[in-house]
Amino acid sequence: MKGVVSPGATNVDGKDSRGRGDRKLHGTARCRAARDVGVGEHVIEVRGLVKRYPDITAVDGIDFDVNRGEVFSLLGPNGAGKTTTVEILEGLRDPTAGEARVLGEDVRSGYRRIRERVGVLPQDFEPFDRLRPREAVAYWAHLFDHAVSDRDVANIIETVGLTDRASTFALNLSGGEKRRLGIAMALVGQPELLFLDEPTTGLDPGARRELWKLIGDLKRKGRTILLTTHYLDEAEQLADDVAILNHGKIVAHGSPSALISQFGGGTTIVLAGARRGGYEALSSRGIAAELHGIDVLVHVPMASQVRPLLAKLASIEVPLTEIYTKRSTLEDVFLKLVGARMEEGVLAA
Amino acid sequence: MKRILADVTAFGRQYLRSRVGTFFALAFPVILILLFGAIFSSSGTPKVPLAVQDLDSTFASHGFVQALNNTTLITYQAIPTNVNFQDYMRAHSINVALQIPAGFQAALIQAEMGNASAKVNVTLAGDRTQSSFGIVYSAVAAVATAFNLKVANATEVVSVDESQLTVRQFGYIDFFLPGIIGFTVLTTPLFGMTSICAEYRTRRFFKLLATTKLSKAEWLAAKVVFYVLLLFLSVAIMMLVGVVVFGMQAALTPLAVLLIIAGTFEFTSLGMVLGIFVRDPGTGEALANAIGFPMMFLAGSFFPIDAMPPFLRTLARGLPLTYINEGLRATMVFGNDGTALTYLLITLGFAVVFFVVGARGLSWKSK
Ligand SMILES: Nc1ncnc2c1ncn2[C@@H]1O[C@H](COP(=O)(O)OP(=O)(O)OP(=O)(O)O)[C@@H](O)[C@H]1O
Ligand SMILES: [Mg+2]
Repeated sequence: MKGVVSPGATNVDGKDSRGRGDRKLHGTARCRAARDVGVGEHVIEVRGLVKRYPDITAVDGIDFDVNRGEVFSLLGPNGAGKTTTVEILEGLRDPTAGEARVLGEDVRSGYRRIRERVGVLPQDFEPFDRLRPREAVAYWAHLFDHAVSDRDVANIIETVGLTDRASTFALNLSGGEKRRLGIAMALVGQPELLFLDEPTTGLDPGARRELWKLIGDLKRKGRTILLTTHYLDEAEQLADDVAILNHGKIVAHGSPSALISQFGGGTTIVLAGARRGGYEALSSRGIAAELHGIDVLVHVPMASQVRPLLAKLASIEVPLTEIYTKRSTLEDVFLKLVGARMEEGVLAA
Repeated sequence: MKRILADVTAFGRQYLRSRVGTFFALAFPVILILLFGAIFSSSGTPKVPLAVQDLDSTFASHGFVQALNNTTLITYQAIPTNVNFQDYMRAHSINVALQIPAGFQAALIQAEMGNASAKVNVTLAGDRTQSSFGIVYSAVAAVATAFNLKVANATEVVSVDESQLTVRQFGYIDFFLPGIIGFTVLTTPLFGMTSICAEYRTRRFFKLLATTKLSKAEWLAAKVVFYVLLLFLSVAIMMLVGVVVFGMQAALTPLAVLLIIAGTFEFTSLGMVLGIFVRDPGTGEALANAIGFPMMFLAGSFFPIDAMPPFLRTLARGLPLTYINEGLRATMVFGNDGTALTYLLITLGFAVVFFVVGARGLSWKSK
């Protein structure tokens, strides 16, 4: 049964895991029940969630669901309310209003049961300076009541790619290695659900890409992951589902491709180096264009129009260096919805 | 239980690996013992220097000074007769000085011959608030009384025989070491815990721990276990120094061991109680100092409580450390296990209260 999803059992067990009866289950019994929950099952359910501080409403009535086995990304600038939301789900903060259920448990009353089944990498995670990664992982496993052998510890460390650094004081690890250690510690409880709060912020591009690979691997192993980030490319790369959060509200929600086709404005044909002359040539023929530096951009809302338009543009004699098409990215979606670009979490007009 | 052990191991590793911190935790009490031991053990009772201006300079006045010298409380120094007494004191920063006026012997002779109105005053000048003044005053008064009795031809009715109070031959170190143990039981866990709480909060370790199954009470219990082990090591080193360097007689009794455990339990927990209010390392240190320093002085770690003014004595009765210091002295020096047991129970009472308040009051989560 372990690790196998059986559609026949899904509905029955799935319902049970949310019902009261499940709370009495312990140890392996509960683990099994949880594992048997089907793919479509909501691991997280959030309804009308609000968190108010005296001077700010950090989370302002949000709703979303996270499906089992997916990577769900909360995407937003600094102060959007990502960490607040995540920490409410982890049971580390109490919501002001609304409802949040994690693995079928209410976050307020079920905190103890939730923390046994989730793994957490907090924002700005710092390891204990004077423990070696293998010691830290073993220590953390004990805190989850998991008897781990040296072999198990080595496996976890291998999973996050820290084998070479397993005996170095955490103090001396690089930023990316520290995050990996944090993920290793989050994995020791064999959690069904992982919370990764800005796992790649502050890392260099190489280290970020390596972490993306690790997160992708974890997803393939069937973990559900809630990932917060303010990197649009990160969400686009990793997430099955994205909720764009701004000022405590979800401004858009869907898969990256759905968001892009809904809000991204389709495809853009770029006439590189066409300059004002090119722009005027197009305008005079009734083609809506936009001058962007020395490039001329033509927005094509529908994919079916790209080919005919390309043919038409090719027939117009304008000096240019290159012609290419660019599909919209989440960046365009973000710009359209929030009205600003985002650099390292900071909004720029 | 497994979780507590895992936490003790991990915490202990980190603690011992920060070598400088560990060294000072263990070395500081030893330094204190060596320092205080050297000051007080060697010379026995300290003598007070007394400057005397003898304006009479007769057999009688020399006899008076000689008698003062014989009290063994003072060491004598002469002030020349041709200088102003007060000016000389100021110029030479003399704390206590005695002036014997001219006519001292003459007055005594008059009195011996039956002249009832014969009278002479010696002048003792100095700062009354200093303990040395008190010592000299008693000595001078005692010698004066002896002279008066002699003149009156009276016989001595009351006299003092010296006898040793305790069974073994105790030295200063035997009274001092329990105080230093109490001091260490206070400072090591209390200062340690407040700084740990500050670090764990600012570096968000508390939040990290809150995501595991470890409870706050278990975490605190693990710290208590660790500090008890550390204190055992520390006390062993102190006892060794006491015995080897100063020939200490006081012994570590079972009740003393229990008091050390209970005290460590108490102050580790108190550290966590203070941790409730600690938001950063600066506050942590300030808070530990504000509570720790007055306590170590008032609770009789370095000076006997009986030597303090009455209102401070009352205050000392309210301080948890008092019961550890006094309890340790009771069992280690006087063999008074009854008192030590009472104090042990009081200490445990404080400890349980602090533990509950600390484990419940300190929040690992955010608002
Ligand atoms: N304890 C608190 N007291 C008051 N305001 C708070 C508190 N915690 C968070 N806030 C505020 O709530 C808002 C949301 O904060 P949050 O940490 O959730 O943002 P975030 O999306 O995680 O941002 P970042 O990308 O910078 O991590 C911010 O404006 C923040 O200042
Ligand atoms: Mg955040």
